[in-house]
Amino acid sequence: MSHLILELRPPESQHYASWRDRLETVARYSQPDEVHALCEKAYALGAHTILAVFDDTIREALVAFQRWRDVEVWAVVPNMFAFIRDLTDLGVVGATRARFMRLTPPAMVRTGFRTMFALDGIRRRDLAIGTMLVSDMELAALRGLRVTRLFLHPQVTEIALAAGAPAVFMALAATAQRLGIEAGLVTHNPLRAAAVLGPELRRFAPIIAPCNSKGYKMFPNREECERLFRSDPAHFIAAEVTAGGTLAPEAALAHTRALGLSGAVLDARTVEAAFRAGTAASIGSSDCDGRAA
Amino acid sequence: MTDTRPLRAAVIGAGRMGMIHGHLLSVYPETEVVAFVDSNTGLREHLASQGLRAPFYPSVEALFSAASPEAVFVCTPTNTHLPVVRACLARPVHLFVEKPLATTRADAEAILRLATEAQVVHAAGYVYAHLPIVQAAHDLLTKGVLGEVLRFTAHAYVSEVFGPKRGWFFQQEQAGGGVVANMASHLLFILGWFFGPIRRVVATTRSHASAIDDSAQALLTFASGVTGLLDTSWSMPGAQMLDYGVTIDGRRGTLVLCRDRILLHLLLPAPGHEAGWSQIHASDLPADTAFDVSPHIGGEAFYRQLHSFVQACRTGTLPFCSLQEACNTQRMIDAIYASAASGVSVEVS
Repeated sequence: MSHLILELRPPESQHYASWRDRLETVARYSQPDEVHALCEKAYALGAHTILAVFDDTIREALVAFQRWRDVEVWAVVPNMFAFIRDLTDLGVVGATRARFMRLTPPAMVRTGFRTMFALDGIRRRDLAIGTMLVSDMELAALRGLRVTRLFLHPQVTEIALAAGAPAVFMALAATAQRLGIEAGLVTHNPLRAAAVLGPELRRFAPIIAPCNSKGYKMFPNREECERLFRSDPAHFIAAEVTAGGTLAPEAALAHTRALGLSGAVLDARTVEAAFRAGTAASIGSSDCDGRAA
Repeated sequence: MTDTRPLRAAVIGAGRMGMIHGHLLSVYPETEVVAFVDSNTGLREHLASQGLRAPFYPSVEALFSAASPEAVFVCTPTNTHLPVVRACLARPVHLFVEKPLATTRADAEAILRLATEAQVVHAAGYVYAHLPIVQAAHDLLTKGVLGEVLRFTAHAYVSEVFGPKRGWFFQQEQAGGGVVANMASHLLFILGWFFGPIRRVVATTRSHASAIDDSAQALLTFASGVTGLLDTSWSMPGAQMLDYGVTIDGRRGTLVLCRDRILLHLLLPAPGHEAGWSQIHASDLPADTAFDVSPHIGGEAFYRQLHSFVQACRTGTLPFCSLQEACNTQRMIDAIYASAASGVSVEVS
């Protein structure tokens, strides 16, 4: 049995196949009800977990969705799309301060307490301390949502992996431990993650990485990635399963099942395509994680 | 005999782009970061916390008195590119300059002149041109699949500016402009690479959020006769950075270049292509990238850009993204601003 996961990301992080696609995506992600409806469709397919980068709309939608459905939320923090916009304008310290000022007063108090212990790191613009401080701010704003796993945003993950800097991953693991939840990784470079983290890779479960029969986004190549996946398939979840929408969802999921991976991430387009093609039932019945839809 | 020693590179400017180049140089197997340079020495600890621990110098002069890099990556604010390049090229050192090349056409051409006189390999950081799908579109045009190219429409949108901005990137004097110079220039570079030297520009710009151009429309005429329209804005909700597209009409058919695919419609068959609709998706193209430093932004293009530069340094040849090509982009940028300011068509010589 494998696990299906719906991925939600703010629209500014998406690629569009057409102008209409952009308009529909922006429209959907401007209304919590529309995001909620997408979550219901994905739930009907058997996706009982949501992997989310948060903005206000996604957070509001998921708070409401969790009232109706028993779903897990896996948080990807911080929202680097928003943070980079602030970073370009205000610099590291200014962007962090701007994020703090947007918190509600109770969230400010919760975050501010931890900030006192991080002042030296902030002054030094330490990547691990800064990243986790901004992540803490986002997590403080997610009160009311049941988050069961914590992931670092891939923009930070890939940068830290490039330089072989494990400190930020250890900081993520420590934060997850403090919250009583598990830490995971989302990366396009799973082999590099294995090389940088060594035995510590086991602390991050699951690892979400591209996996499809075309080798799309599988770096450095499909063969080496699949060799890593086969070494411990239960440790990995497939992303980019339809290779940018070029593979049919059922065939794409069959490929990840054949490799024995513990699950697959679906994006909104894949969910809609499955419904349009009338294959939702077959995806749901063959790939659900054991719970009734 | 091929030189297998790592190319020793210094990164000048330790801001966001300097950091990304530092990481790429660390992960690429044929390069070694030997130094970072920034007048803000407080950035040393910021880099170290990311695992970037190469020696840090406060100036180009301090760098060259202590180290001997074979290549420099200039990632400082745009208005400083010319003095930084001049200081670096006091000795022969291969040159990579982040985009845009300069804040004016005169400065860009001065940078090209310095690099040419120094007889070094040079390249500019127009990273999106290195995406495999963009290179596949270039190959189709070069092979003449569309026949004579007649016209195009293009767009470049970003979700970046929705209110007043303060950073250097948004200041006319330091950045050389707004969305045209800093975002649309990626697409202008690609258009120049596809269609050749620019000849005439009619444009309008508008500032509706920041103090510089937030959107622009331009009618571009290339010396090859190709004419087309560009629409750009960095105040577009839900636009990935950078969301772009180009539709190109030729006598034999139409090519639509999107972020991850090419749609091709041919009225007549061409060598290797039947008449009618076909699609090339990014996933159909050969993968030759070992590391993806930025999945949602440049993707594998950053790695391919570095690979292209390093191989050019190895062989002593200029890459397609040379400063010469970047000067064509700078001429378009200058002409767009000149036309928008004057309200008339600008001829580019």
